[in-house]
Amino acid sequence: MEAIKSALDFSDFPRTDMFIAGVVSVFLVCFPIFPHSSFAMATMIQFLMFSLYGMGWNTIGGYGGQVDLGKAQYVGIGAYTAAVMLTRWNVPFWVSMPMGMFFAVCWSFIIGYPLFRLKGHYFAIATIATSLVLKDLFEVWDFVGAARGLEISPIKYSPPDFLRLIFKQDVYYYYIILGFFFLGILYVNWFRKSRLGFQLRSIKDNEDVARSLGINVHWAKVKTYAIATAFVSMVGSFHACYIKNIEPEDTMSLDLSILIALMAMLGGAGSLWGPIIGAGVLIPMKSYLKEWLGARAGLVGIDLIIYAIIIMLVSAVEPRGIWGIVERVRGRKAR
Amino acid sequence: MKSVLRFGAFFVGILAILVLLCPPGGFAAGEVKIGVIYPLTGGAAAAGRELRAGAELAAKIANSVMPDLPMTMARNSGIKSLGGAKIKLIFKDHEGNPTLGADLAKKLILDDKVDGILGCYHSSVTKTVSAVCEQYGVPMINGTSTSPALTKRGFKWFWRTTPHDRWFTKDLFELLKGLTEGKVRGVRAVPKKEIINVASACEKTEWGSHVSRLIASFAKEYGFNLRKSLLYAAKSADLSSEVRSLKASRADVLLFASYTSDAILMVKTLKAQRVRPKIIWGQDAGFEKPEFRSTLGDSIQGILTRTVFLPKVVEIKALAGKVNALYKAKTGNDLGGASARAFTGVQTWVHVLEKVGSTKPADIQGAANSINIPGSELVVPWAGIKFSTSGEELGQNVLGSGLIGQYQKGPDGKMGLEIIYPFDVASADMIFPFPGY
Amino acid sequence: MDILVSSLAAGLLIGMVLALVALGLTIIFGVMDIVNFAHGEFLMVGMYTGLLTAQSLRIDPLLTLPFAAIVGFVLGVICYVGFVKFLLRGPMVAQLLGTFGLMLFLRNLALLIFGSEDRALHHGLLVGKSFDIGMGVIIPATKLAAAGLSVAAFWAVWILMNRTKIGKALTATALNSQGARYMGIPTERMNALAWGIGGASVTIAGALIVNFWSVNPFIGLLFTMIAFAIVALGGFGSVPGAFFAGLVVGIITEIPGIWDFFTYTFNIRWMANVPMTSFKYMWVYLAYFIIMVVRPRGLFGWKR
Repeated sequence: MEAIKSALDFSDFPRTDMFIAGVVSVFLVCFPIFPHSSFAMATMIQFLMFSLYGMGWNTIGGYGGQVDLGKAQYVGIGAYTAAVMLTRWNVPFWVSMPMGMFFAVCWSFIIGYPLFRLKGHYFAIATIATSLVLKDLFEVWDFVGAARGLEISPIKYSPPDFLRLIFKQDVYYYYIILGFFFLGILYVNWFRKSRLGFQLRSIKDNEDVARSLGINVHWAKVKTYAIATAFVSMVGSFHACYIKNIEPEDTMSLDLSILIALMAMLGGAGSLWGPIIGAGVLIPMKSYLKEWLGARAGLVGIDLIIYAIIIMLVSAVEPRGIWGIVERVRGRKAR
Repeated sequence: MKSVLRFGAFFVGILAILVLLCPPGGFAAGEVKIGVIYPLTGGAAAAGRELRAGAELAAKIANSVMPDLPMTMARNSGIKSLGGAKIKLIFKDHEGNPTLGADLAKKLILDDKVDGILGCYHSSVTKTVSAVCEQYGVPMINGTSTSPALTKRGFKWFWRTTPHDRWFTKDLFELLKGLTEGKVRGVRAVPKKEIINVASACEKTEWGSHVSRLIASFAKEYGFNLRKSLLYAAKSADLSSEVRSLKASRADVLLFASYTSDAILMVKTLKAQRVRPKIIWGQDAGFEKPEFRSTLGDSIQGILTRTVFLPKVVEIKALAGKVNALYKAKTGNDLGGASARAFTGVQTWVHVLEKVGSTKPADIQGAANSINIPGSELVVPWAGIKFSTSGEELGQNVLGSGLIGQYQKGPDGKMGLEIIYPFDVASADMIFPFPGY
Repeated sequence: MDILVSSLAAGLLIGMVLALVALGLTIIFGVMDIVNFAHGEFLMVGMYTGLLTAQSLRIDPLLTLPFAAIVGFVLGVICYVGFVKFLLRGPMVAQLLGTFGLMLFLRNLALLIFGSEDRALHHGLLVGKSFDIGMGVIIPATKLAAAGLSVAAFWAVWILMNRTKIGKALTATALNSQGARYMGIPTERMNALAWGIGGASVTIAGALIVNFWSVNPFIGLLFTMIAFAIVALGGFGSVPGAFFAGLVVGIITEIPGIWDFFTYTFNIRWMANVPMTSFKYMWVYLAYFIIMVVRPRGLFGWKR
């Protein structure tokens, strides 16, 4: 009860923030009512998915300050659990998704325990390595379709199937991921005010001080890593049902890991709204630039070039990301 | 405070842009729009160019009157039964990425409102694209993907004109059996123990991994000894450890399923490692691209590839010669397996549309299921096009057939493919064993 | 037996080349404690430089090396002066983010300019040639040349670091940059120099590798990961360590060959069916992971 109250309590944000958040939420809820192209819809779903990935990443990467570049392996675990269970044993999504989260969390304990002996760059690179190892294994594992991937047949189920999350229209997917999105915000809002959240922030500021305060640094990190993992794996399961065809190259690629981390870092790591802003700016920009400049004008890769320039600028000028700029502006105003 | 608000407005604005900007979908009267999804960039871009040229040529022939071509679609301009509606091909580039392909298919169906889909070369992409088409009830004709699994999924909106790998791989083992029995033109019967050891290396996605399995099962059936079967990533920049592994297996027959750049790399590495098998056979795709020939030059003498079309077909089929001349004028290359099949794919679309006289998906479905295009209409040496409508395979053309060609140096000093199999149409003596690069 | 010998030979050769790839990374890391995620992209730039100059000027690919070195040096210095310098002021996260941005930028610029097709060299003095040194061991001439040049480059860098004034200044900057500044060493210029040398060494590696590997805009990441593994194994910042670690990683990538040796020597059926070649790089990543957890200093490291 206390936790729910804490999750719903946004009172430490300025009122303008809440107003903007309210407007955006209303817009998100009403979006499908407006006329839109399927492309816009797909972009919005992407935006919501990446916001959730970013929120997950933000718990360990933002609040904890441990830059994790291997999140794709958990996307993969989540996606594969959902897809394998559905295609092989006809297990509905609402059962397989928690199972996927469970497997992902187990795996995160296995690799997280040794991994968190490392710090900084070493940790970041090691997470990449584990992700690539898992991807290579999945690419030869015949049970999960190896490199061919797994297909959720469109004719085996009769949409709309709410149990298995098989729909024909994207709008159903939109509302489901939107629900996850709001739940995710509430969870992170609770998390940042929880005991673990405070512990993490003190670890981020100074690990030795945190240890001297009696915080079990290693364990706190491993626990948070598991939370981040659960988030990512959940969206991974959703991804499997939405895309209906998954393969290691797609769900476990390093590019995905990087994108997740970059979006959160760009929006502002360590703040509640950061990952959402990051995804909200970058995903539409990326898909529309790709569509206009890439597909229409034939400039392949131009979307990512502009994207990269923004990243470089932000990292050189304001490492705290877009949210950092907002806060800086605000601080100047207050002065 | 103001700037925070301004920032918020900017954020909302970006989201709002999404709503306002729907890709424009122009509806010109008298057009039938076919979405064509091919790998125009990426590792198979060379194939993409060929496919595109083949499809464009077919659309051009369908849209204009060419009385000297003995085919139905050249006789009138556009689709006659649709009031002369022109075929419009909307090309999209899937880069060899299945998820991107599915995305593009969705976009074509919902935003561009195409009447049908053609594509996609990579079997892995065809798999996802056909799933999208099936879901939305939009007909899709596939001309170039040969993974047998594609037509075994019970899809009702998917038709494939090309024969698939089960036939091709069987052809191969028939050829090997023929070698031991002395049926091959110009080669005396080879004792089976000389070619009994077989090894395969296939690219690891949908297409290659199925070929690999087929090779394993046929090898067992025909009594060959499969020493090694490798899967590799088509994007590899280096195949030397794969090649060394093949070499270590001491196989007499090396079998490959490779896309363009990896096929070239594979043969280059085989040459550098001095691997000397008695037979090298490629499962079409990379092994019959013009790039393969131009890059590797004379060192491909004696390499076998399965295909459905090679320039020698011109000698037994007059129509193919005429179309080939048009294609050569357009691109400078001869028609190949990919371009000929892309041509046939568009042609099948034209015949289907001509037959139904409407663009309603349900009508198209009925027409496609009952269509019967005689072999004399086609550039490829098939008996015709007729889709199976029952049994295990739905929508598979049952009248197709394959060829096996061998690179041989012609009298003009140019490397060209000669027909080796089927034995009764062989155009040259087979070079056996593989002479070395 | 010949399988084993040829695998080991190939592993050692490729190991020397990979060590050269990692050399630039270890120099940059050693001097300024920053991890350059765009390292593989520098290599890709080198590969394209080698390929395009050889093709457009119709010269032998081996003659393009000096040109590639100049391009790499300039690229490294520009990256440092124009961009990385600003990252150093920020926290570690900003450095990660920034060099990632650089990586995306270079990669997609290459994609825009060159397209995503694989390109390869098909002509040249050594391209496609190989020596048969007996016992069925085949040594490709290009790899042999690349390995030889790698040894030369390592020797040159070692001399530079240990026998020249510039090298001493670089080492001083690495050990204590503030102290070095007090001693009158222009540390900013030293940092730029480190990036220049790092860039040049990796573009040389690229121009060598393009003799036997094909290049596309996405190739960088694989090499970044391998270079990280080598640098971690050898100890971050250690030049001799990088060389020996390169050899180790080269042998690790040849595990499939060693596996084949056992398979066919003892004729074990099930071993032939294990897809070892698919795991070629997995062992490298695994080795990296294990070494990082067990011995973060690496095998020869002096810096933590």
